[in-house]
Order: sequence, then C-alpha cells, then structure tokens
Amino acid sequence: MKLIYRLIIRLSAVLLPILALWAAIFYYAMVEEINDETDDSLEDYAVMIIRRVLTGNELPSSGDRTNNTYSVELLPEGTDTPLQISFRDEKVYIPEKRETEPARVVTIIFADAQHRKYKIEVSTPTFERIDLLQSVLLHIIALYIILTLTIITVTAVIFHYSMRPLYALLKWLDNYHPGKGVDDLPANSNIPEFKKLTKAAHDTIERAEQYMERQKQFIGNASHELQTPLAILSTRIEWIIDNTQLTEEQFAELSKMRQSLHRLVKLNRTLLLLSKIDNGQFPEKKAVDLVEIIENEVEIYKDIYADCGISCTTTLPTRYIVEMNESLATTMVTNLIKNAFVHSELGSNVGITIEKGLLTISNDGEEQLDGTRLFDRFYTSGKKESTGLGLALVKSIATRYGFEIKYAFCNKRHQFSVKMSK
Amino acid sequence: MKLLIIEDDSSLREIMLRALKGEGYVVETASTFFEAEDKIAGYSYDCIMLDIMLPDGNGLRLLEHIKSLGKEDRVIIISARDSLDDKIEGLNLGADDYLPKPFYMAELSARIKSVLRRGTASVNNIMKAGNISLDITSRRTTIDNKEVPLLKKEFDILLYFMQRPNHIVDKAILAEAVWGDHIDMADNFQFIYAQIKNLRKKLADAGADTNIKAVYGFGYKFTDNEK
Repeated sequence: MKLIYRLIIRLSAVLLPILALWAAIFYYAMVEEINDETDDSLEDYAVMIIRRVLTGNELPSSGDRTNNTYSVELLPEGTDTPLQISFRDEKVYIPEKRETEPARVVTIIFADAQHRKYKIEVSTPTFERIDLLQSVLLHIIALYIILTLTIITVTAVIFHYSMRPLYALLKWLDNYHPGKGVDDLPANSNIPEFKKLTKAAHDTIERAEQYMERQKQFIGNASHELQTPLAILSTRIEWIIDNTQLTEEQFAELSKMRQSLHRLVKLNRTLLLLSKIDNGQFPEKKAVDLVEIIENEVEIYKDIYADCGISCTTTLPTRYIVEMNESLATTMVTNLIKNAFVHSELGSNVGITIEKGLLTISNDGEEQLDGTRLFDRFYTSGKKESTGLGLALVKSIATRYGFEIKYAFCNKRHQFSVKMSK
Repeated sequence: MKLLIIEDDSSLREIMLRALKGEGYVVETASTFFEAEDKIAGYSYDCIMLDIMLPDGNGLRLLEHIKSLGKEDRVIIISARDSLDDKIEGLNLGADDYLPKPFYMAELSARIKSVLRRGTASVNNIMKAGNISLDITSRRTTIDNKEVPLLKKEFDILLYFMQRPNHIVDKAILAEAVWGDHIDMADNFQFIYAQIKNLRKKLADAGADTNIKAVYGFGYKFTDNEK
C-alpha cells in the first residue's frame, strides 16, 4: 500500500473516534446548557407568580405572550410536604392548542406568612427546545464530517507536496540500471532528512557501480594475464609431443593435459569475450540478416551431427534484419543452436523458428531445467562437458541489445526464445 | 630465413626460440622495447614476431618505427589482448598477421610460413607437399598434375595439414580450425573421422605419396612419404 494511503487510513482511524467523542461531548454540553436555560426561565416565571400570590396581586392571564401555563393550588392544612422545588419532563395538555405536548414542568411548594402551603406548577412546552437540539445535532454532524474530510485532504495534499523530493528520488532509483552509469540526481531538497537520504542512495549506487567496474576490470585483466602462461603451457606440451620419443602412456597423459588446457583456453577466451561485451567494446552495428546466419550454422551442425541422426526443422522468413554487431549476432545464434544440438539425444529433433520478432530454438528433452539459473555464468546441467558460459554469453548479448531472452519447457521440449522487437 | 622474437616473457620466448630453431630458422630474440629497437636498427629480419604488450612501451609504436624505417621485414603481432581495435590498428600500421595468445606453436609456424610465402611469391599462391599441390585462391587440388575433386571441408582439412607437416595435429584443434567455433564438446568427433576417411581414400586413389597418420586418442600427423 502506498505510504499516502496508509497515512490517510491511520489518520482516519485516530481522527474519527476522537472527533466523534468531541462532537458527543459538545452535544451533551449544549443540551445541558439549554435545559438549564429553560429551567431558569421557568423558575423566574414561577417566582414572579409566587410573588403575586403572596402580595395578593392579580395573577397573569393564561393568554399572555409566553407559552407557559401554570396552576396554583392551596394545599389542605396539615400536609407535611416539605418546601421544595423540583423539575420534570412530562406530556402536558395545552388547552389553547387542544393537544398534549412534551413539556418541562417545575413544581414548587411554598408557604405564606400564615404558614399555608401552596403548590405551584408551571409548565412550558419543549418543542422549541427539541427543535433547537435537533438543529444543534445536525450542525455538529455536518461539522464533524466536514472537519474530518478537510483535515484528511489537507494532510494528504501537504504530505504529497512535502514528499516530492522522496518521489523524485524513488523515480531516479527506478531509472537506474546496474552497469549503465548513474543519471543526474533529482533536484535536491533543503530538508536535511531528504538530503541525507539522497546522498546515501547516491553513494550506495556509486559504490555499487565502482565495485562492478572493478569486478569487470578484474575479470578482464585476469583473463588477459592468463593468456601468456596459457600460451607457454600449450607450446611446451606441443614441443614435447612433437620432438621427444614418448611411450604410449606418456603420450596419452600429455594429450589429456593438452585437452584440459584447450578447455581452459576456450574458457578464458569466453570470459574475455563476456567482459568485452559487458564493457560495450562492440560498438559498431550494421544490418544483419539473422536468417542467413541461422542457415549457415544449421548447415554446419547438420554436417557435424550427421551421424547422430538429429533432424532439424526450420520455419524462417526469407530475411530477418536486425541492427546489431555482426560477430555478436553470430555468437548469439551459434550458441543457441549449438546448445540445442549438444543437448539432443540420438535421433531427436531441433526446431528453429522466427515469427513476429521472436526467435525460438527448441529441442526434445526429458525434464525441465532450472530457468532461474540457466543463464548464470558457470551453471551447467551437469550432463555434458561444457564451460557453462554459452548461455551466459547469449544473455549478455541479448541484454546489450535490449532483447528479452526466455526459457520454457512445454510438450517435452526445451524452448529458448529471444524477443527482438517490441 | 632469419626471425626475430620480441616477447617479454622469458619462458614463452625460450620455447618459441627452441621450436622455431627446430624448424630450421635462424632466430634471435629481444625482451624489451629498447632491445628490439636496437636489433631492428642494426639488422634485417625476414619475419618479426611482435608482442604488443612490452614492459617499456607499446609494440604498436615499435611497428610504426619499423615501417618508418622503410624496412621490408614481415611482422606478425602476438597479443594477449584479443581485441579487435588492436588487430585493426596493427594491420593498418602494416602488420602482416595478428595472432592472439594463447596460440599453438604449429599455428605460429603455419602463419610464419604463410607470411614468408606471401613475401617471396605474392602471385603464386600454391602449397606443395609430396606430389600434392593446392591452389589456395582457386581451391583446386592436383596430384601429379591430375585434378582431384575435393569437397569444401576436405580441402580445408588438407590445407590445414599441409601447413603443418610433421606436426601432430590435435583433432579438437583441427575441428575448431575447419568448422570454426562450433565445436565445443570433446565427445563427438565422429564427423572428423568420416571426413578424414573420405579424404584419405581420395588421396590414396589419386596416388598421393603423402600419408595422414592417426595418432591414437589424440589426432593426426601429416607426413610426406618421401622423407
């Protein structure tokens, strides 16, 4: 999940309950305040009536401008109800409206100078209060939603804006391909954390590049340095074979030595070639006809493997032109075809096709090979004597020209395909 | 025929010296740029084997120097750097051949012969051994002046043998020389046996006085029966 989404989710997880709690507290505080206000006005009204009762003034008619209704009742003598004031909510019949309405009622027991007790009840309908509370609730909910959305949106926008250097750095890292050199760094930020991160990424990649460069140089130099001792060894063995009287045993030993040496020479030569390809030392390109190369190669292999009864079927267009170095094109094709022939059993079949920019070379096989390691240097399937560099070479060349090389095993056939056009 | 070996590695220098002396050449050696420059200034050689990686200078500069002196000496560049650039530069500077290390002595001696032959008779591109003669340009084979039809690969094999008479030729190296870089595995030489068998039969039928001897488990040796 992208960082920004995660941030929004986490922010929401924290903000939603906190804001909801805040809204609830706010709402109950409002309710409390409104009830208080109602009770205060009821009390004031009741006090006004009590005052009139006690002073013997005329009581207000029930049709005055307030919605209040009241009743004053003289309690019988000897009632031991204590003097008190109490509030309650109940349904009250309102004669003017001829219906019952929810109302707030205050009951006060009071006594006059003669110790006669009165009970006064004043009620005020609460529909206005309920309306008010409903409207408060609606506003709080609206505020809650708008506030939450605003906070999250603003955070997301600010986050995205502030993280631009990070995204630039990530893009730069995506564009980096090992061994292809380092692009210019994205425009630097003033934020110390990003500065540090950018520098760390840059340093790491530069170090990796240096190691790779050094490793390439090492392989190249080592292979070069090996050439002279190899030349000495082979010429000396050759001299002994040509110029000395040898027993058959000695001769056999020497020829085995020479064969091993020959393998070593080939190995070294291939390593040199690999290191040259990786160093881009084959810059010259021209239009190469792959079909022509394939046909020549197939001719030679048919010749070589004639006795093994390996058949070869090709489905090729008349021409297939690619822009690449001629000797690398030949090396790539040769290695793939050689691979197919070498790993074919007696009497099996090798197939070569070019279709829609896809060169496929297939041969019969028993079981699937390890596709992930097949193109590694020095990986061999262990069956035949080989350097284990052929396919690594093919891969190296393919990568150089942006071709995609794949291995698949289907219908009991190994298939190597090189995708040459998009 | 007088040769000069310019090579800084003493062991390689010594074995080259020994082998080329064995072939009947007069051979001198130089181990540094300076020494080589000295010898080239003082003497003339038919062919110079030049290692281009010398401790005190680039052999290619030495080649330029040889050419600037207007000398006719043939030059074969020997290099551990099997790089196309060096090869092109070397040949452009007037080298006659380019041999990457490691090489086989038989290969070097064949190249020397070929370079020297070009020097003496540039028009005449004919190889002879016993009563066989090969016309390299027109790829025709004649035995006792009678033409023998050989297939392409048979001709290549015979040419390879004739450039290396009396040397034991490794079948793997022969295969590589004739079929190019297509031979990788040591376990399939059936096709060489077949080719050699056919070639021998054709040569014998035409009355050739040469012999391709099998050296068990190793390869072949081409010999001139007269010797």
